[in-house]
Amino acid sequence: MKVETHELMVCLIANEVHNHGGVVFGSFTPLAYCSYMLAKLTHAKDVTLIGYNAIDMSAVEMSYFGAEAAAYKCSTARMDALNEVNSIHLDCRGMVECISPAQLDGTGAFNTSLIGDPDHPKIYLPGQAGASDVAQTYERMIFYIGNHSTRTLVPKVDFVSGNRWKISPEERRKHGLAVGPYKVVTNLAVLEKEDEKRPFRLVSVHPGVTVDEVVAQTGFELDTAETVVTPDPDPIHLDLLRTRIDPRGTAKLGILGGEERRDYLRQIIEFEWEQARDYIRKSKRTLVSY
Amino acid sequence: MNKIVPLSAIDDLVNDGDSVALGGGWFANHPMAAARQLIRAGRKGLRLISNIGSIDVDLLVAADCVAEVSYAMVSLEAFGFANHLRRALESGRVKAHEMPGLAMLIGLDATGRGMPSLPYLGPFGSDLIDRDPGLMRVKCPFTDKDMISVRAIEPDVALLHVTRCDEEGNAQWLGTIAPDIVMGKAAKRVIITCEKIVDREEIVQTAAATNLPGYYVEAVIEVPFGAHPCSHVPHYAMDAFNIWDYSEIIPGDPRLPAFVAQLRGETEEEYRARVVNSEKAQILRTLVDLGRSVTEVA
Repeated sequence: MKVETHELMVCLIANEVHNHGGVVFGSFTPLAYCSYMLAKLTHAKDVTLIGYNAIDMSAVEMSYFGAEAAAYKCSTARMDALNEVNSIHLDCRGMVECISPAQLDGTGAFNTSLIGDPDHPKIYLPGQAGASDVAQTYERMIFYIGNHSTRTLVPKVDFVSGNRWKISPEERRKHGLAVGPYKVVTNLAVLEKEDEKRPFRLVSVHPGVTVDEVVAQTGFELDTAETVVTPDPDPIHLDLLRTRIDPRGTAKLGILGGEERRDYLRQIIEFEWEQARDYIRKSKRTLVSY
Repeated sequence: MNKIVPLSAIDDLVNDGDSVALGGGWFANHPMAAARQLIRAGRKGLRLISNIGSIDVDLLVAADCVAEVSYAMVSLEAFGFANHLRRALESGRVKAHEMPGLAMLIGLDATGRGMPSLPYLGPFGSDLIDRDPGLMRVKCPFTDKDMISVRAIEPDVALLHVTRCDEEGNAQWLGTIAPDIVMGKAAKRVIITCEKIVDREEIVQTAAATNLPGYYVEAVIEVPFGAHPCSHVPHYAMDAFNIWDYSEIIPGDPRLPAFVAQLRGETEEEYRARVVNSEKAQILRTLVDLGRSVTEVA
């Protein structure tokens, strides 16, 4: 069965989740959530997953409505946002953070804040939500981009919402920061920035994509000396993703934009709403009283 | 001390121009009934403080209650941009103040600790720092390490929605807490809305779940479905169809004035009767019940 782009991206990001530390679920990013669940079920059983205020949750089935509740049903502790900030985000206990910026440039700077002149922006974007902070402290920083193009991978971001202050292992060690990769996973390729001075390395291009295509679609310099083809995902990963973690395909929301995403979302929420109706009908539950 | 008041007490507890911290995060547990009451009261010029906002911020902007928003993120997530906020920021009608997400929490924490500022390992590479008079590059006096100091943030009011609370304001969140506690400790006045007011005895029996003690709290208001259309786990999931309909009313939409007028012209009880009938209440509860771990699925 053909591997869909969002599935390949989920599996690539899952490989970046290692078997230690904490992973805090960010704002609604189902593609990244699926990767965390997949890793938790396979090679990273000891990673501590933190969703909303639920600490140490098990892998949950992705659903638009139920994932939040599920997190609370299978976790061992609760923390409020500030405790999380102090102990996970800032004390280098964070292992991997995934974000999907509107723009990223060759210095590693990302933009989730605004488009245009910062003093008179043409477009206000949602904001960085804390990614600017955790980009410093987390061991591994992964950007995922569903539309690899010169509009997203730009020569220079309009506004630096954040950047990794120190990137190379030597510099990070010197400043007492956890050492780990600064990577970009897109619908076409995988890029990695290994130090402040050198350009991003084109690590791999996805099957069917050429190096030239990726270079043409990237607004900054790439080192293509050792580029390989992205390996296929582990069939066990794919099967778990499709059958256990994300049967509704919520991860696809992470790569769709605009009206296409709204249509897809509509299908998911209609399905889950009907499923709840069915469940009520079958279980003949009494009405909730308030 | 009995702090129970009706929802309409918000009209006197929140003034035009106040800085108002809104609890909740993402589409989870925003104080929506309190926000609706601000709209009914016709509040103007509010300066909102929102860590991870969504429809709470956007709705107050759509209803023209807002002059400024401090935020780390405001988004309708998969539904798209928070369009009313976005257009208001782009036109200059509302002033934008984006803060690094952790800086906002640390600035609120500073107030809660009686400090004028607090330092942290901030986003050194970010353009947000030098554009914000509330953020300063400093050195650790002991180690000379680079730090970012955040000026204390003191909201006039925090609006927080909880699962249950007693008359003294001892508040328990059984689901998503987000930045609520740090907001509650920073604000001059804390208004708690809750799904249910319970006896002190019930709070005593479950004291480990009390996240904000009553001595921070000025007013307690019982509002079932007080987070609707956002989620309040474990009682209800988000009402995605309601949010869908809202997200279709874009700025300049001829339906917007009627939409706002309807909210403004009805009581919260009438809102609830109109929007959350018993069938919907049951579906929203069932959607919570259907959330499950992967192990349960197998």
